Amino acid sequence: MMHKLLLLIFLPFGAGLLALVLPRRLREGMALAAAAADLFIAASLFGKDSACLMPWLGFGIDFSLRVYNFSAFVVFAAAGFAFLVVLYSTSFMRAKPCLGQFYGYVLISLSFVNGALLADNLIVLLFFWEGLLILLFGLIRIGRKEAYPTAIKAFVISGIADLCMMAGIALTWRLAGTLAISKINLSTDGALAGTAFVLLVIGAISKAGAMPFHSWIPDAAEDAPLSFMAFLPASLDKLLGIYFLIRISWDMFKLQEGSFLSIALMSVGALTIVLAVMVALVQKDYKRLLSYHAVSQTGYMIMGIGTCLPAGVIGGIFHMINHATYKSGLFLTAGSVEKQAGTTDLEKLGGLGSRMPVTFICFTVMALSISGCPPFNGFFSKELIYDAALERGLIFYLAAIMGSLLTAVSFLKLGHSAYLGARRSGSADTKEAPAAMLVPMIVTAAACVMLGLGSRFVLERWLAPFLGEAGAWHMPAANIMLIILTIVVLLAALIHHLLRVRATQDALKSADDIYHAPFIRAVYALAEKKYADPYEAGLAAMGLLTRALAWLDRKIDWVYNVAIPGMNNAFCGRLSAVHSGYYAVYIVWALAGSIAAVLFLLK
Amino acid sequence: MVSLFILAPFAAALILNLLPKALTHRLAFWVAAGLALAQAALVAFHPLLFWSAYPDPLGPFFNLQFSLDGLSLVTLLSIAIVVLATLVAGRYTITEESKRFNFTNLVLITLMGMNAVAMTTDLFSLYVFLEVCAIALFILIALKKDKLALEGAFKYLILSAIATVLMLFSIALFLLLSGGVSFSVIYGALSGSGGGFLAKLAMGLFLCGLFIKAGLAPFHAWLPDAHSSAPSAASVLLSGMVTKIPGAYILMRLVTSVFPLNPQMQNLLMFVGVFSIIIGAQGAFYQHNFKRMLAYSSVSQVGYIVLALGCGTPLAFAGAAFHLFNDAISKTLLFVNACCLEKETGTVDMDKMGGLGQRMPITNFSCLVGAFSAAGLPPLAGFWSKFIIILALMQAGKPVYATVAILASILTLGYALVMQRKIFFGGLADGLQQAKEAGIGLVLLESALALVVIAVGIGFAFMYNNFMLPVGEIVF
Repeated sequence: MMHKLLLLIFLPFGAGLLALVLPRRLREGMALAAAAADLFIAASLFGKDSACLMPWLGFGIDFSLRVYNFSAFVVFAAAGFAFLVVLYSTSFMRAKPCLGQFYGYVLISLSFVNGALLADNLIVLLFFWEGLLILLFGLIRIGRKEAYPTAIKAFVISGIADLCMMAGIALTWRLAGTLAISKINLSTDGALAGTAFVLLVIGAISKAGAMPFHSWIPDAAEDAPLSFMAFLPASLDKLLGIYFLIRISWDMFKLQEGSFLSIALMSVGALTIVLAVMVALVQKDYKRLLSYHAVSQTGYMIMGIGTCLPAGVIGGIFHMINHATYKSGLFLTAGSVEKQAGTTDLEKLGGLGSRMPVTFICFTVMALSISGCPPFNGFFSKELIYDAALERGLIFYLAAIMGSLLTAVSFLKLGHSAYLGARRSGSADTKEAPAAMLVPMIVTAAACVMLGLGSRFVLERWLAPFLGEAGAWHMPAANIMLIILTIVVLLAALIHHLLRVRATQDALKSADDIYHAPFIRAVYALAEKKYADPYEAGLAAMGLLTRALAWLDRKIDWVYNVAIPGMNNAFCGRLSAVHSGYYAVYIVWALAGSIAAVLFLLK
Repeated sequence: MVSLFILAPFAAALILNLLPKALTHRLAFWVAAGLALAQAALVAFHPLLFWSAYPDPLGPFFNLQFSLDGLSLVTLLSIAIVVLATLVAGRYTITEESKRFNFTNLVLITLMGMNAVAMTTDLFSLYVFLEVCAIALFILIALKKDKLALEGAFKYLILSAIATVLMLFSIALFLLLSGGVSFSVIYGALSGSGGGFLAKLAMGLFLCGLFIKAGLAPFHAWLPDAHSSAPSAASVLLSGMVTKIPGAYILMRLVTSVFPLNPQMQNLLMFVGVFSIIIGAQGAFYQHNFKRMLAYSSVSQVGYIVLALGCGTPLAFAGAAFHLFNDAISKTLLFVNACCLEKETGTVDMDKMGGLGQRMPITNFSCLVGAFSAAGLPPLAGFWSKFIIILALMQAGKPVYATVAILASILTLGYALVMQRKIFFGGLADGLQQAKEAGIGLVLLESALALVVIAVGIGFAFMYNNFMLPVGEIVF
């Protein structure tokens, strides 16, 4: 068993290194084989429990890995998505530049994600977690020429969050006296413990892509290769971030129901849901729109975990897996649209439904899932979260249901303008995507349906045991009120869409009335000024700081280049002047010096 | 046995002047150089035990006591090297044959005086031999016999006379206090009485006399004039060794075997040291005359030695002895460079030089080595001694002095680079089209000295363990 844990890390890593050097023809097959092998190993570990410990750096820093039901499940999910993305890329990425780097980075990322998921030592976790930062940079960078600023943005934002996490790990080490994750058991009471918890949570939710650490994701959607979006921000980052968030708030710390931190976490979730979906609503690009939803959906998971209720936490985990499924699938549909139609700009797309029927069907299934429409998987996870949120406070439920309403509206808009209606431009010979791209889409769409239909089994058999003593949890009886409310909201979204399309004759403008609504308009105005983006605000602040430092630098330069040489020259000049050459003066100096020295000694 | 170091130069000077001039004019250089070389070889290759194993014939005869310890050995070695360099420099830069002969004789007498100072065990003979050196140097400085040379010699004479008065008065006081002038007698008397008013007065006066002789600020004013007017070869001797004997060796000898350091004296020494470091470095900045700049630099470097002595720990003493050796070598090297430059360009004004690096590459390189060593750049010799001094100051809890010592190194580097740029870098100055390397003898000399600086810097552990550490041990 021990070998398998190490293999999960070293096999993809070695394959990634190979991919960097192998010739083009061998590379794709090798990458696919490595991803498949990883999936196979992960599957064989499913539900198992084992550990592996090797001495590493000393001081309690051991190379310690542990797999148990939860991490095995997440590792399996990650392996599955990685395999699908690699399979998809063999067709989608063909003829793109930097392909060797792409496969290399993807496989090494997979290795590091496995390492972070399996780590049972905070330093080992941090090692893999930070390593992902470099790969994140590399993967965005190879997108296109203009991707550099985005890569830097992603690097800086994630780096700052990781720095917080590093501080949190240091504090936790001090508080708990150990680095072994499975041995840490702290409460969040007390300023120091609270700080440590918040710092760790910042690391986790920034990896998951919650506000305010999200702003690189939409930029990356445009700049990075699309496979990357389906791979990291849509699935593996979410898995890793939410996994760690649950480990923090459920295992390492005991987050108390109704405590300040719990409410703060739920508030972050609520704000993320509402704000991100509002921004998503007005996007006019397929990928960018999806990326804002990737942010928004994170809010549900965080809110669910923040409730500290078993229903909420399990709902959060379920939503994590559901979201990874449909969001990576949705990105894959965006990829096939991009590849086949040549653009993802919604103003230029239209009527693709008849040309690309399989893609369209997959899209429809997953759009219904993300909107929370029964009986697809998104419906069940959202219902659990609604349930828990309502128990903690009406406001959280309202935020969640509002998010659902807007999600539905924006997907109606997206689907309508891309797949239905008249074709706006592009050639008539747009065809269905090739099989290597269709298979992953079909698999994810099918998974959405399966997870929805088998939700009770998945929740009770697989997910509930993750919570340990609360493992005897059973799915509550369906709350008919909430289900009816959900359906009403979805219908409202549909009716709104139809009315607006009739009014504007343009599916793309169907959500503009929300954009122009009185109060909401002000929110958009702020968002458009980039107030919502802490990176931009940070850049502005940095600009001020830079100017201040430059000013200071000039002053220091003045001290070195003007003041000190000036003083030196003045002093030297005086000194030179007093050396007049008159020996009488020199005698006076010598005698005066002697008298002073003797007097000093006699004192 | 050890009195050979005194008798041999004395006898050589006597015999050279008694024999017919036709013979001696040609022979003089070789005799003197041979003596210096023999001294260097004897000191470098024989341990301390060798010297104390044989009875000294001269002692009973003249009623003088000579003895050798680690400090004396370092000093004797430095003396030998500097004198050798001086002789070579003189041979190639002084063109007039009779002057060169006189020069060689005077150097021999200085060698005798310095050797005696380095070995004597009583205060009065120390004074006498110091005067022997001084008188030889008056003549050496005035050797050119022009107005400037006479003026420089005169200033040295006057200030040296003041020093003489102070030291003689002090010796008289010591005699009064202890009934003898030998180091051990005075030491015993002072440690018994504990040092009353008279003892302190005597110490102060003697120290001031040494300060004048060593050219420490504010007693330094004669030094730049003397250097700039003396023949460059005499400057080599003056700066390389003569100011270091009172400034470093005698001070070290006094505070260890005549009157022990007390906190007040430590403060005085450290203050004078730091003051000299700053005044010397600042003074060097403003000079246009290469030799004047080096003279100020000399003031500054002797200041480091005195600062280390004032610190008073064994490590500081070892550093002081090391710096004595290193600065003797690097100053000698720089003044030999001055010899070359003066010989080739006919001027010592740096503003009139320029671009000589292409014409005199070896001089350029060796000058750079000497200047960088003086500024304390690793891994050259000067770095280690300054480093040890600063380390000792930090250990002794004198961070302020240590900081000043470090900052002054920056000043040293500053004027060293200014000097290098003015003389060697840039385009060739007008009227220097004929400049070339200054003859094989000088080139070999400066290369050898530069190599010593580099070798000591790289193999500093050998030097430090074999010569410098014994100094620190003997002293305590």
